[in-house]
Amino acid sequence: MVLASYKGRCACANDIQDSALDRTNRIEARRDRLRRISRFVAAVFMIAFATTAFSAGTPVGTVIDNMAQVDFDIAGTPDSVNSNVSSITVQETIDVVVTLQSPQNLVAANDTNQALLFRVTNIGNGSEAFQLAINSVIGGDDFDPVPSATPIYFDSDASGDFSVGDVAYVPGGNDPVLAADASVDILLLNDIPGGVVDGEIGRSELTADSLTGTGAPGDAFLTQGDGGTDAVLGATGGTGSDTGEYLVGEVQISVLKSVTVLDQFGGTEPIPGATLTYTVTVAVTNGGTATSSVANDFIPADTTYVPASISLNAAALTDANDADAGELDMSGAPTVVVRLGNLTQADGIQTVVFQVTID
Amino acid sequence: MSFYTHSKGVVMKISYGFGLALLLIFSSANAISQEQGHLNVTTLVEMEQVSVGADGERQTRLVPVETVVPGDVVIYTTTVENISDEAADNVVVTAPVPEHLSYVGGSAFGPGMLIEFSVDGGVSYAAAEELTVDDDGQPRPATADDFTHIRFVMQDDLAAGAQSIARFRAHLN
Repeated sequence: MVLASYKGRCACANDIQDSALDRTNRIEARRDRLRRISRFVAAVFMIAFATTAFSAGTPVGTVIDNMAQVDFDIAGTPDSVNSNVSSITVQETIDVVVTLQSPQNLVAANDTNQALLFRVTNIGNGSEAFQLAINSVIGGDDFDPVPSATPIYFDSDASGDFSVGDVAYVPGGNDPVLAADASVDILLLNDIPGGVVDGEIGRSELTADSLTGTGAPGDAFLTQGDGGTDAVLGATGGTGSDTGEYLVGEVQISVLKSVTVLDQFGGTEPIPGATLTYTVTVAVTNGGTATSSVANDFIPADTTYVPASISLNAAALTDANDADAGELDMSGAPTVVVRLGNLTQADGIQTVVFQVTID
Repeated sequence: MSFYTHSKGVVMKISYGFGLALLLIFSSANAISQEQGHLNVTTLVEMEQVSVGADGERQTRLVPVETVVPGDVVIYTTTVENISDEAADNVVVTAPVPEHLSYVGGSAFGPGMLIEFSVDGGVSYAAAEELTVDDDGQPRPATADDFTHIRFVMQDDLAAGAQSIARFRAHLN
């Protein structure tokens, strides 16, 4: 994100103040560390996934014939004879793997519908239906995420996150049926309990079980394979699972401030009478939510606020403290106040603009 | 490509396509073996079955197999029996590695036989370590996966009434 890369380089006369922003600065160092860890986890995962070349194997029902040929001489005369044809038929083998696709999900206490992305791949050699299940009570973590009311979704729009258009999974209703080598992306949704603190980890697991059956590798389900063949459980025993992680941490916010100068002679000299246009951009850069965010910006010394010059995302705001999102607060040092509300990364960049003139 | 077949005592050199059609008809009428002329040749496909006896000893035996799943290892055994009253010489057993199967390295076995491999569909043969395959324009040593055919060249005559075997393992992809 471009904004993030400029963070801290802004040579502005003013500071933007916000309780959330202050906290952000305080925990910046640790946040950076957490982000690095997240990225590292994601990178390791990508590598692992890229090198895992699943192959479904020879298709069920394939008939493999073989015949040997023997050449020889008898009494100096060359001759040749072929053997009978030996024949074997490929049965269905049931195998499935589940692999986590998303990096560690950075969350805050009481967040809801936090998604982890998994991929379910049929590595058997026939078509197979799978039942999906979520388990968020896993040993070895710091807290148990709470599965959302509808905790399993298909990532129907392939966005990689939980979004409008994703279809809820109903056990026994729309169990995914996967052809050999086919896969489907699945989202697990959990709510984060209150009382968790920064740095704590909670895990959640997706399991996919073959509807034909699960068990020990080699177990057979007679005539239950494709085309009436026997179905034999492969190395996975017809079940696969993987676990994702939620990491509790503060929301990360990027702030960038810039100023342009326009003097009364049409130039750009910062002389008395010149107009300064301040542009403040605010954006959430991770998975958290900045609740009730407020941008506060003091009017610099030796300048005068230009009346009715505040705007938020190009929409004008009045100077009065009224129903709109911003005002000029004259109760103390003159301050531009703009309420940005609950911000997430999906809200994108919030742009606040106001003007002053140099006294 | 051409090869020889033997019918009613007449040796004919025939085209590959025609020969294949002939063989299919021929084999379906002789599902068990070819008792034609001088040699009786049988191919059997089996798998290892491990059982634990009453004394706790693990016993491995070969059992004929009709169905397989990916990952299974099967064993092809070709038995050559000389049913004529003359010795056969220059006996060569050619066994294809069927599609969907991969040869298990080091598994080819034949008493008194020189074993060679082909990576080009049976056009040419050489010792396993001498074979190379093209890998994006660069030759690389062939691996067991690359072998398309195995050739068992009997070093001595097959005496009248004698039999020999050629065997290899392959796993189902």
